[in-house]
Amino acid sequence: MPPAAAQRAGGLRRDRGAVAALPRAPRRLGRIDRTRLEALAFVLPAACLILLLVAYPLLHVVWDSVHNVDLVDPAATGFSGFDNFATVLTADDFVPALWHTASWTVLSVAGEYALGLISAVALAQPIIGRAVFRGIIVVPWVIPIVVAGLTWSWMLAPDFGVTNAWLVQLGVIRHARFWLGDTGTALLAITVVNIWRSFPFYTISLLAALQSIPEELHEAAALDGAGAWARFRAVTWPHIRPVSAALVMIHVIWTAINFDFIWVMTEGGPLHASETLPILIYRYALQTYDVGAASALATMLIGFLVAALSVFWFAVLRPRRAAMEAAA
Amino acid sequence: MSMNPTLHRRSLLAGAAALVGTTTVAARARAADATTIKFWAAFSPADPDYKAAMTLIPAYEKAHPGVHVELQTISYDALHDKLVTAVAGGDAPDISWGLAEWLGELNRMNALLDLTPLAAAWPDRSAIYPDALRALTVDGKLRAMPNYIGLRAMLYHADMLKAANVEPPKTWAELLAAAPKITAATGKPAYGIAGTGVRSPQELLVFLAQNDATIAKPTADGKFRNTWGEDRDEHARVAEVFAFYQALQAQKAMSADAKSWGWQEEDTNFSLGQYAIVQDGAWMQSYIAQSPKGMADVRIAPPPFSRKPATFFEVAPFYLFRASANPQATWDFGTYMLGQDWQAACNPGRSVRTDVIKHDQWGEGFTSLAPTGVVFPPVALGGIIRAMEDSIGHALREGEAPDATATWLSDNINRSLKRSGELGPAS
Repeated sequence: MPPAAAQRAGGLRRDRGAVAALPRAPRRLGRIDRTRLEALAFVLPAACLILLLVAYPLLHVVWDSVHNVDLVDPAATGFSGFDNFATVLTADDFVPALWHTASWTVLSVAGEYALGLISAVALAQPIIGRAVFRGIIVVPWVIPIVVAGLTWSWMLAPDFGVTNAWLVQLGVIRHARFWLGDTGTALLAITVVNIWRSFPFYTISLLAALQSIPEELHEAAALDGAGAWARFRAVTWPHIRPVSAALVMIHVIWTAINFDFIWVMTEGGPLHASETLPILIYRYALQTYDVGAASALATMLIGFLVAALSVFWFAVLRPRRAAMEAAA
Repeated sequence: MSMNPTLHRRSLLAGAAALVGTTTVAARARAADATTIKFWAAFSPADPDYKAAMTLIPAYEKAHPGVHVELQTISYDALHDKLVTAVAGGDAPDISWGLAEWLGELNRMNALLDLTPLAAAWPDRSAIYPDALRALTVDGKLRAMPNYIGLRAMLYHADMLKAANVEPPKTWAELLAAAPKITAATGKPAYGIAGTGVRSPQELLVFLAQNDATIAKPTADGKFRNTWGEDRDEHARVAEVFAFYQALQAQKAMSADAKSWGWQEEDTNFSLGQYAIVQDGAWMQSYIAQSPKGMADVRIAPPPFSRKPATFFEVAPFYLFRASANPQATWDFGTYMLGQDWQAACNPGRSVRTDVIKHDQWGEGFTSLAPTGVVFPPVALGGIIRAMEDSIGHALREGEAPDATATWLSDNINRSLKRSGELGPAS
């Protein structure tokens, strides 16, 4: 040990010995400690609630995934290892449901983002009645999913649905189609409805980001001869990129685990054509009562999402952030 | 006005504690005073049975001081999942409506009361259709009370058949022969099916029975097994059923969209005269008010069959749950609902009592078919029903060979029975 360090260490030991020799005075909490304790007291109920309502069920699902839990077979009990995972992975409907989940999520989020961005840019322009349009565009988002799903089911019906009538009148299709009853179009039709319902959330979020961009930046870029596309790429995009990343990440999760829209409109049919992993989880739990298999699939879904978002974070967002910080 | 924050917090805490205490005491007092029967029912508030029940339940409470019936109305679509989760969570109601298809699974969950001893001393037992009680008996024990029966018959638009100059078909062959004539005369398909949803397995079950096949037979050990794999003749008869579905589609005897229809589309389109013939229940009478013109020419006859007459005998049960704190009071209320007054007021055309009969085609037209009624076996049906629905899709959407569909369905039924621990050995 270097002499200086040894001296410091010896000094510390001596100091501690001196403190230990003194009679211990009752320690009074400082203001910061008191504030921290108060903050902890306020946070504690919420933390307990989260542990009870989120952590406990989540851990229970993971626990059930490696146990035999069957509501209609009392004999099936005990540790099952990876049997439930094997049951799910070897089922005929797993791979199609995984593919449906991926395509439903990617198409929905891509469509929502594109429509949200276009509408946000449009509503950021100084047009007459802008406030009214901004109010109207939020309407699909505030309609409950069940109401929206049932209404669209009616609108897409072949016999009396207004969508078919319009498409036939416009010459897009010759005859009315059963969009939700055809294995080739069912998932796509629900995806379109989901985009219609969710894009306003992107619009209002991106609009807020657009409004935070100083006007001078656009003016300066324009004076430098930048066109509309160049201004969007150099000025607008860097400002809305963080919001976009957050929106996409949140919506990937929300869409991948969405159950209600698909259930209300097709119940995963026809012939499993719109069956996603959440629908499959429901079927295992409440139609075949194999809670173990349902939990295994739910655990896998959580794993898929964590993996996908981790890849997105480590491969895309983190390097970009590091590059921006380095440039700054 | 300022207030000491500590005092304020203490006051709030004291107030909250007092409120909780008062509520608890009040709840305990109420619990001590009254027997509450939690009753879940799938009434539709616009229907006459609900309106009648709203008079009869208060009358029962008045006649039984200290008994309170807590009615919760839940649609059939939501009732199953709510019941299953309530049973799993230990919070089942005392008594609930339900479908007969749930009998096997609720019984396997050990959720139901054994009503056998109670029913033995029930004076009105002899007035109930024996088939209805038999359908709710598992291993010799009565596991539910019948609520109403819903037999299916063939409903047809007489004007459409008259325009095609055909008689109501008595067999599948006659139906297929009449179909092109009906379409030529009216421009509309002859027949309607539900290709998806809860009704599609019911219709498939009946088609199978009409061709002398059953989805699962009891085995010597008290379990069940699908035997099509071992009985090649029965396998061939099942294949004929799927061939019949495909013939209906290929010959345009049914709407091209019918393979995607659920029960709503099937019923609504028939009531509007969009096709001529359907196998359906007495509830179709309620469409007369909505579509008086479309329903004016509807007549009722036994369903067409292939090898033997059969129809779906839907026995909608009252489930009484083991978790009930008041099983005797719940049973008493159940017997009240099976009494003549309740049945005559709430279920005039679908009563489980032999002495409550509606003397018109919507009553006797259906109840006369009771001897040919078939029911699902009392096993956990979740996976089986799903496989049956899928098998129709295999036949109609994928054009799979009927023989292959029969094999696929047989394998999946036995797989489902095995999963629920109900698969018996091969003979």
